[in-house]
Amino acid sequence: MSNYVERFSTRERVLHWFVTAAFITLVLSGLGLYSRLFTGYFDFFGGGANAILFHKIAGVLFFASSLLLFFSHGKEVTTFDEDDREWLAGRGGYLSRDEAHFNCGKFNPGQKMFGIFIGVATLALGLTGIFIWAPLAFPRWLVQLSLLVHGLTFVLAVMFTVIHVYLATIGNPGTLEGMLYGYVRRIWARKHHPKWYREVE
Amino acid sequence: MADARKGFLIDTARCIGCRSCQVACKQWNKLAADPTKNQGTFENPRDLTPNLFNRIRFVEQADDAGGVKWLFMNERCMHCGDAGCMKVCPSPGALYRTKEGIVAYNRDKCISCKYCVSACPFNVPRYGADDRVSKCNLCADRVAGGMAPACAKACPTQTIQFGNRSELIARARAAKKTLFGENDLMGLGVVYALEGKPEAYGLPEKPAIPMSIFLWKDVIKPLGILGFWGSIGAMLFHYVTVGPKKLEEENETKGGTTHE
Ligand code: HEM
Ligand code: SF4
Ligand code: SF4
Ligand code: SF4
Repeated sequence: MSNYVERFSTRERVLHWFVTAAFITLVLSGLGLYSRLFTGYFDFFGGGANAILFHKIAGVLFFASSLLLFFSHGKEVTTFDEDDREWLAGRGGYLSRDEAHFNCGKFNPGQKMFGIFIGVATLALGLTGIFIWAPLAFPRWLVQLSLLVHGLTFVLAVMFTVIHVYLATIGNPGTLEGMLYGYVRRIWARKHHPKWYREVE
Repeated sequence: MADARKGFLIDTARCIGCRSCQVACKQWNKLAADPTKNQGTFENPRDLTPNLFNRIRFVEQADDAGGVKWLFMNERCMHCGDAGCMKVCPSPGALYRTKEGIVAYNRDKCISCKYCVSACPFNVPRYGADDRVSKCNLCADRVAGGMAPACAKACPTQTIQFGNRSELIARARAAKKTLFGENDLMGLGVVYALEGKPEAYGLPEKPAIPMSIFLWKDVIKPLGILGFWGSIGAMLFHYVTVGPKKLEEENETKGGTTHE
């Protein structure tokens, strides 16, 4: 018996990294627009006007691919059960070194909440992005509000992504492999997602 | 800046609505004509355009005898002391302040984001076919050369007075005028002597940078930077205090390299 089980299909993995590439492009091209402290980031794109162009293209790609990613595991991410309540009550065991055991399905509640947040943030960023794209075509108050919401959502998305990257890499050794080649070790699956492991075993 | 600051005092009571200022501005700044239609009012054009940096607003009011009287208001960029447009502009040098306190601009550096439109309390910036900002530049070139702006020079009634801002204000005060814009937004570069309430002229009673723009640039921006580094710091802190969720059996499978 192989030491590995499949976690993500090729389609899911490619989609995830596509979303990530679009996201990073958005952050880099958006930083100069966020604050004059980051004007230097415009240089990656050959000036501010080009950075805006990249931001628009990456924005459309991110919007479409991120929603696709959300819907491809929408059901797993949006349904919570009794075991999830226990995970939440115990903060997923992340606040102490003691060995904690939770009966998680394919995703734990933290991942589910991240998935939902990214889905909502994608909608918010996309919608406000349209108003900011063509500010003269919409009422002033709507564009002003959009600039505020776009900035706020951007900040939250980056912060949650930092947490996401930590937990998916050095915070939980063995996790990244699943998103790289699609397979995770059985001991990883048994430890982190026992309920899911029993289904795919 | 206080003393070197140049500005306008616009004494609306003197204005006869001749629009010499509109024409003079177009001439000096080489702005194309905008075709307009008769819309049943003497006010023309009815809004600022990329080719119209100032204009006279005609406000019709009923007078005591049942007729009509006009209020004339020269509308333009106010050259705010605390300028919303400059606060949000992400392209250094696109909008800049001259040593006379003028909010001037360099269209070559404008990146067409149009943030300044949303941030201006007076809805002034406009965009032409080239999609770059345009507005009154207070004839920064003329002023730098010691001349009066074209519109002030052309005004036949001295409605538009140009000079040292503090002197203009002192003189208007001595004449007991009701001033608009003396202290708002750290003082407007264009101060008005009004004959009635600001609202009657279509001016905001208390001009201010829109609240959402303030929250965006002065609250979310600094907090966001803090939050970004905070989240990185929190993750590092978690790693060295609580630590990662290691796979316990790993040691057995690798055999030998026990370190826990
Ligand atoms: C370098 C950056 C990133 C790395 C290393 C990374 C890594 C991973 C890994 C390993 C997983 C699988 C977790 C598991 O097996 O349970 C995952 C899932 C996921 N990733 Fe990423 N990711 C990155 C960036 C992003 C970005 C930018 C987004 C979205 C904006 C994103 C959205 C998601 C979502 C929605 C999931 C589904 C499960 C969950 O909610 O955790 N990722 N990521
Ligand atoms: S009136 Fe508007 S465009 Fe002019 S300086 Fe003030 S904020 Fe900027
Ligand atoms: S449109 Fe031009 S002038 Fe206005 S904020 Fe953007 S870059 Fe600055
Ligand atoms: S100061 Fe110059 S640019 Fe501004 S309205 Fe007068 S003539 Fe036009």
